[in-house]
Amino acid sequence: MVKYIFKRICYLLPVLAVVAIVDFVIIHLTPGDPAAVMLGSDATDADLAKLREQLGLNLPIYVQFGRWLWGVLHGNLGWSIFMDMPVSTAIWQHLGPTVSLTILAEVIAIAVAIPLGVAAAANRGTWLDQLFMTLALLGISIPSFWIGLNFILLFAVKLGWFPAAGYQPLSSGLVNHLKYLIMPAVSLGIMQGALIARMTRSSLLEVLNENYIRTAEAKGLKYWVIIFKHALRNAFIPILTVIGLTFAVLIGGAVVTETVFNIPGIGKLVVTAVLRRDYAVIQGAILMTATAYVLINLVIDLLYALIDPRVRLSK
Amino acid sequence: MKKQPLLEVRDLKTRFSTETGLVTAVDGVCFQIYSGETVGLVGESGCGKSVTSLSILRLFGKHSGTRLEGKILFEERDLLTVPLDEIQTIRGNKISMIFQDPMTSLNPVYTVGDQIAESIVLHQKLDRKQALAKAVTMLELVGIPSPESRIHDYPHQLSGGMRQRVMIAMGLACQPKLLIADEPTTALDVTIQAQILELMQKLQCELNMGIILITHDLGVVAEVCDRVLVMYLGQIVEECPVEVLFDNPLHPYTCGLIRSIPSMATNRREELHVIAGMVPSLYHVPAGCHFAPRCPYADAQCGNPPELVTIDAEHKVRCWHPGARASGERRLA
Repeated sequence: MVKYIFKRICYLLPVLAVVAIVDFVIIHLTPGDPAAVMLGSDATDADLAKLREQLGLNLPIYVQFGRWLWGVLHGNLGWSIFMDMPVSTAIWQHLGPTVSLTILAEVIAIAVAIPLGVAAAANRGTWLDQLFMTLALLGISIPSFWIGLNFILLFAVKLGWFPAAGYQPLSSGLVNHLKYLIMPAVSLGIMQGALIARMTRSSLLEVLNENYIRTAEAKGLKYWVIIFKHALRNAFIPILTVIGLTFAVLIGGAVVTETVFNIPGIGKLVVTAVLRRDYAVIQGAILMTATAYVLINLVIDLLYALIDPRVRLSK
Repeated sequence: MKKQPLLEVRDLKTRFSTETGLVTAVDGVCFQIYSGETVGLVGESGCGKSVTSLSILRLFGKHSGTRLEGKILFEERDLLTVPLDEIQTIRGNKISMIFQDPMTSLNPVYTVGDQIAESIVLHQKLDRKQALAKAVTMLELVGIPSPESRIHDYPHQLSGGMRQRVMIAMGLACQPKLLIADEPTTALDVTIQAQILELMQKLQCELNMGIILITHDLGVVAEVCDRVLVMYLGQIVEECPVEVLFDNPLHPYTCGLIRSIPSMATNRREELHVIAGMVPSLYHVPAGCHFAPRCPYADAQCGNPPELVTIDAEHKVRCWHPGARASGERRLA
């Protein structure tokens, strides 16, 4: 197991190297002079020259890369001109809301989707199965911002249960924190949950046809023991894959949902940065998202090994 | 006094509802099994032998749309009508089953020790530690070397023969009165096959179990069975002691099966005997004798369904012209 973990971590290094190079190159792929693009058309030559020097654009490219990488490795992602603060600080400030939203959305999705998927598979072909799968199809088809807007209309405007938009950090109290997050989390969770529920059902159905399920049945085990002990664990690898993917997508910022609910998360940060051509922030956010993606995949890989002993041995 | 059978199957009919209609996979099967005897259930693929054995424990999954009719009497109860939770106390406990494919019949994510201990915990109400200790004993019994460490192995760490031994250990863990072995040696190579069969016989003597051995291998039948049931298209066509099967088979299908066995005595250039035609699909079962379309002795009478008739005390056959080959009559081209 230790060997497996070590191997997985080694696999990360080349991936992260590629991420770093691509991320660095982005700024140089913009046509023309990056400094001119950043400062706009009415910048003076002096301003441009100053920015070029500040960004090190007059140095050879490998020196630029070296300096940038050195900075990144020391937690220095550059300086946001528009926000007038280090990029790392800007990301750090926006990461909290996104992580909170992601975790809550994913917890809601998993808590609803797995029992639903299991119940659908265990009652295959019945009205229950059809009902749950129709709900899942609706969940996938309806855009989360539409659900979000309707939630605001119903629960905030008409019923007044929750605030219509905004964000309060965890430090303001758990209840208060959740009050602001619950609607966006549910509207995001519905889509993720629908994906997870469908995967749970189909993966479980496949496993239920396996010979070892019949063996378990022939032992005299109860149906639910067979489902939860013998079938679900075998069915869990594809489910875990979907959970990992949905998690990773959400960490990159749920742009639309964050906008609808006015949550100051990574999604909003990126949108604002793109509109202002704040390259340093875009670069930093991409690097953060890609790294999070890679790390989540690592965690998923390690969980695979925990679930299935055969994974630990595979080369 | 007449000996009481361990298990009695009376007029068992197993039907599956499929998209194209109802299919009768087992059509009125009757037989008895006594303690300590081994009964072979033989026939080609698709003749209903596995379905018969699955019917005994009703192992068809929750939503398969299977319909079971008839009676399966075990310890004065009808297994086809007892509630599900009652049959769950019999499965793996008093009646165990070994399946044909050891490579896929064990759960890949649990250790073999866990899987053997599971039914011991369930039926014998031992705690996990005691059950694991018993699992070690069982693995020792089926001849797995260093069982103390093997119980911590996962199925993929074992060879096919080892896995089948684990399956047997699992099946025998609760000392069943009846063991149903569905082609237990088909997936194994010949040397392992002999070991496994020997092992089953040895354990049978110790526990006085009844065994139903499902196979299409008449060599295996000759080796271990006391009595044989020959099945064709969901029906038993011949039932007799094993010596009689090879010395005096009466049903043309049985004769065909026996003649199809390659032997060292036959000339190598000589072609092997084949039974003409194909097994009909279950959707198109012939109206009269099911075997008639492939039978060289079939005549007009065979358009009517024959009964399973008793020839002598232990020999029954379902044929209008039993022993047709022996008397050499009506051989058609």
